[in-house]
Amino acid sequence: MKTQRIIFSPVTRLSGLLSVEVTVEKNRVKEAYAGSTMFRGYEWIMRDRHVTDAVYMTQRVCGICSLAHGAVSSYLLDDLYDNDIPENAHYLRNIMFAADFLQNHIRHFYLFSLPDYVRMPDRPPFHEQDITDVRLVEKDNRLLVEHYFAAVKAAQRSHEILAVFGGKAPHQHSFVHGGAAVSPTADKVNRALALIDSINRFIKDCMIPDTALIARVYNDYFHIGITPRRLLSFGLFRFGAKNDRVLWKGGVLSDDKLDPPEVKLIETDVTRSWFEDANVNNLTGRQPEPAPYKPDAYTWVKSVLYGGRHFEVGPLARMIINRRYDGGTSTMDRICARSLETMLIGELLENWLTKLEPGPPPIKQKTSPVKSEAVAVTDSMRGALLHSALLNGERVVGYEIITPTEWNFSPKDRQGRRGPVENALVDTAIPRPKMLFTVLGRIIRSFDPCLSCATHIINVKS
Amino acid sequence: MTREKFAAVCRKLSSRDNHALTEKLLSAVKTHRAKHNTPKLSVVWIETNDSGDNNISFMNTTFPYLGRVFAEMIDLLYSNTFMAAQGTKALAVLERAAAMQYGPFTLVVEGAIPVKDDGLYCAVARTQDRYITAFEAVTRFGKLAEHVVAVGTCASFGGPSAARPNITGSVGLSKVLPRKIINVSGCPVNPDWFVGTLAHLLMYGRPELDRFNRPALFYGFTVHRHCQRRSYFDKKDFADKLGDIECMFSKGCMGPKTGADCPYRQWVDHVNWPVKANTPCIGCTNEDFPDGSSPFFTSLSVKSPEHE
Ligand code: SF4
Repeated sequence: MKTQRIIFSPVTRLSGLLSVEVTVEKNRVKEAYAGSTMFRGYEWIMRDRHVTDAVYMTQRVCGICSLAHGAVSSYLLDDLYDNDIPENAHYLRNIMFAADFLQNHIRHFYLFSLPDYVRMPDRPPFHEQDITDVRLVEKDNRLLVEHYFAAVKAAQRSHEILAVFGGKAPHQHSFVHGGAAVSPTADKVNRALALIDSINRFIKDCMIPDTALIARVYNDYFHIGITPRRLLSFGLFRFGAKNDRVLWKGGVLSDDKLDPPEVKLIETDVTRSWFEDANVNNLTGRQPEPAPYKPDAYTWVKSVLYGGRHFEVGPLARMIINRRYDGGTSTMDRICARSLETMLIGELLENWLTKLEPGPPPIKQKTSPVKSEAVAVTDSMRGALLHSALLNGERVVGYEIITPTEWNFSPKDRQGRRGPVENALVDTAIPRPKMLFTVLGRIIRSFDPCLSCATHIINVKS
Repeated sequence: MTREKFAAVCRKLSSRDNHALTEKLLSAVKTHRAKHNTPKLSVVWIETNDSGDNNISFMNTTFPYLGRVFAEMIDLLYSNTFMAAQGTKALAVLERAAAMQYGPFTLVVEGAIPVKDDGLYCAVARTQDRYITAFEAVTRFGKLAEHVVAVGTCASFGGPSAARPNITGSVGLSKVLPRKIINVSGCPVNPDWFVGTLAHLLMYGRPELDRFNRPALFYGFTVHRHCQRRSYFDKKDFADKLGDIECMFSKGCMGPKTGADCPYRQWVDHVNWPVKANTPCIGCTNEDFPDGSSPFFTSLSVKSPEHE
C-alpha cells in the first residue's frame, strides 16, 4: 500500500494557528510535521524599550496565558533591580497566577478538548463536527454538553478573580516587579472567596468526574499518543524575598533520573524552522533573521533541546516530577494530569486567600538595576517558560523568550529527531481512514497547543 | 428598544446602576428579532497575527454569557478558536460562506495582517499544495462580507503585532481592505464593546463611528474624563509610585489621550480597571499603541510632550 500525504489544517480549538502534515502508510502514521504558521518577532519588539515595559509588553505574546509572561518578566525584573518581595505580595501574585491557570485549564478541557469526545449540538459554532468515534451514551453526552456551558461561567469567574486583583484580564496590570500594586482589601478577598468557592465546586462536581468519565470510555487513549518519558519543569509558584522558594519544584526527568534544570544546557536549532541557519547562541549576538522562503522548513517554531535532547513540558511533566501523578505519558495521561492539577491549584488559591493580610499594596520597586543581564524561569499553564534580558542601563539590548509550545512543538532538529508532539503522532494506528483527523486532533490537543506563544524567535545564552 | 434608547444604555455613565451593558442587550435583541423576524447575525471570524487575547476576552462576556451569545445572537460559522469542525471540514465551511450559502455574513478579523514577504508571516490554513495567507483570506472575505469588524488593536491599527521595528510588515485591516471597517480596538477588546457592537449590527446596522472608525458609543470620551482620580489630577496631586491612590499621570497614565469607557464600564463582569488597581492606563485602544505609550511608566508629558 502506498504512502499518503495528508494535510490537517486548520487544527481548530486551540490558541493560534497550526497545520500538521502527516504521512500515512498501512493505516499508521509514518511521519508527522507540526507547523506553526504565525510569526510576530517579540524579541525584536522588546529591543530598545525600557526594560520595565517587559511585564505589560510580553503579556501580549499570549492571550490565554498572558499572566505567565507577566509573572516571569516580573521575576526577571526583581532580579535585575534586586527587589525584596514581601510575603503578602507573594500571596497576591500566586492568587492571580493560580486564577489564570484555572481559567486556562477549564477552557482548554471544556471548550477546546471536549468536542473531540462529545457530540455537540448541531448549530454554529459546533456544526460540521467531524467526530467519527462517539462512545458516550446519550445521557452522559447531554450532561457533558451542559457542562461545556457551565465551564464558560467557571472560567469567566476565574478571570474575574484575576481582574479583582489585577485590574483586568487578559493582560493584567498589578502583578509587576517589586510586588503587587493592588491593595488586598477585605471586600476584594471576600469577593474572590465567593468566586473560588463556586469554581472549586465546579471542578470537583463536574471537571473531575467528567475527566474520569472520558478516561474510562476512551481508555484506549492511555496507549495512544505516547511520548518518550523525558519530562522537564522549571517549577511553579514562588515565595521568598528573592523569589527563591518554589512550591512545586522543577526538575528534569530522563532515564528515570531526576535532576534540577540547568539553563545552560538549553539550546535551540533552526534546521527546519523558517530562520536563516545561523550559529549564534548568545544574548548579544545577531539573531537569526526570519527566512520565510527557506526550503525544507515547515514551522515558525524552533527546536528546543536540553542536553541535546527533546523534552516534554506541561501539567503532566509537572505532576510526575512532583510525584502527584504516577501514570504514563499518553494522550489521556496528559488530560488527566491537567484536570487533577486544576483541582490542586483551586485548593491552593482558596488557601492563599485566607492567608492574605488585608492592607496596603505590598510593592517596593527599586529604581535602578544592579545587573545588566538575567534569566528568569517558571512553569506556566503549558509548561516551562523562560525569559532573559540583556541591558544597557535600563534599555533592552536583547530579550529572549522560550515558551512551552516550543518544547512540545519542536520541529525536527539537525539530526532529524522529533519533538514530543511529532513523536506522539508517529506510529499511531488509524483504524479507519475517516477517523484520521479525530485521532490526530485528540493527540495534538492533549498538549494544549498555543501557537501565539511560539510566534517569536529564541536564542539563549550558551 | 429604539436605536436612540440603545445608544443611551451604552452611554449610560451612572455609577449607581449596574454597569453591565450586555445585561440589557439580550432582551432587546430577543424582542427585536421576534418583532422584525431577524435571523441571528452570521459571523465568519478569521484569526491572524495576534495573541488570541480578544477571543479570550470575548469568552469573559457576562449577561449574556458566551453560551447565550451563541444561542441567541450570532451564528459563529467559522472560528479557529471555537468551531467543532476541524481540518478540511472547517475549510469547507469557509468555502460555503464564500459561496454565500449561509446568506450575508459579518467578517470579524482578529489580528494584524503581515504584508512583507508575500504575507508569509501568517497563514490561516494550509491546503495540499499551498498556504492561505492572512492577507489572502481577509482581502477575499472582506470583499464578500456585509459588515467588517476589526476586533482588538492589532486588527484595528496594527497594535503590538506591528510594534517597532515591525519586521513582519504588519498592518491593521484598513490598510489592506479598501472599505468601511468597524474598529473595535483594545488590547484586549472589552467584551461589552464587542458584544455591544454585534448587537448594534444585528438590530440597526452600522453604529456611529468616531474618527478612528470606532463605535462612538464606547470610545467617544477619554478615560481621563471619567476617571475616579480626576480630582487628584486637577489638584496636581500625583502618585509617587505604583500602588499609590493619587493620579497616575506621573506614572505614565495615557488616560488623557485614550478614548475608552474603562472607568465606569470596567473589566470582567465590571469589577476593576488598571487605574483602580493603582497602575497607569497604557492606552491600549489607541491607534499608536503600544509605541505611542512606551515607556509605559514614563509621564505622558515626557514621552509625548505635545500632550502636556
Ligand atoms: S489617573 Fe490617568 S485617567 Fe485618571 S485622572 Fe490621572 S491621568 Fe487622568
